[in-house]
Amino acid sequence: MLPQRGYFMGKVAMICNGTEPKNLYPAFILGSSAVASGDDLILFFTPTAAPALRKGELEKIKGKGLPDMADLVEGVMALGARIMLCELAFDAKDMKKEEIRDGVEVVGATTFMAEISDAQTTFSF
Amino acid sequence: MGVEKNMVTHTLDTLGLKCPQPILKVAAKAKEIQPGDMLEVLADCHSFPDDIKAWCTRTNKTLLVCANEGGGKFKAQIQF
Repeated sequence: MLPQRGYFMGKVAMICNGTEPKNLYPAFILGSSAVASGDDLILFFTPTAAPALRKGELEKIKGKGLPDMADLVEGVMALGARIMLCELAFDAKDMKKEEIRDGVEVVGATTFMAEISDAQTTFSF
Repeated sequence: MGVEKNMVTHTLDTLGLKCPQPILKVAAKAKEIQPGDMLEVLADCHSFPDDIKAWCTRTNKTLLVCANEGGGKFKAQIQF
């Protein structure tokens, strides 16, 4: 049986640690369900995962039998999900701000930890 | 009654979409639906009957029915 939480809106944080489908699909699939059900959702990308946030990269992710990644990304953003990128990524991965897809918030670790301090659910992939 | 007269039935076809896309589409559609309106959703994702039940519970909508239409298809009726 599902817990009868009714109106309860939660806060969910997903941490992506890599650029492979195994890192990205779980975060966006579970994140989709959370944000569709009314939860706040933050997707945080570590430097290792940062290249996936270059413009157009997420849309290239494919998986046999899995939903369309571009559709998931568009869907979660339309429902208010926030994507955060660790600011260390720029030096660590030789990336430039203008390479990053629109809508991504660049944050430091302390800001991210403050943002998710009231999250009830966290996942790391 | 005036309220019933103005009730609108919306439809959403998610056939071919895999979990959790049908629910994502339902959530996006929900933004344009008024309290009292009905939403009919067609889906052929295996987890849809359980997932739409969970979504309705969490978002406080009434799942009137999720009928098995045969051929792996389901039709859910949600009262907003």
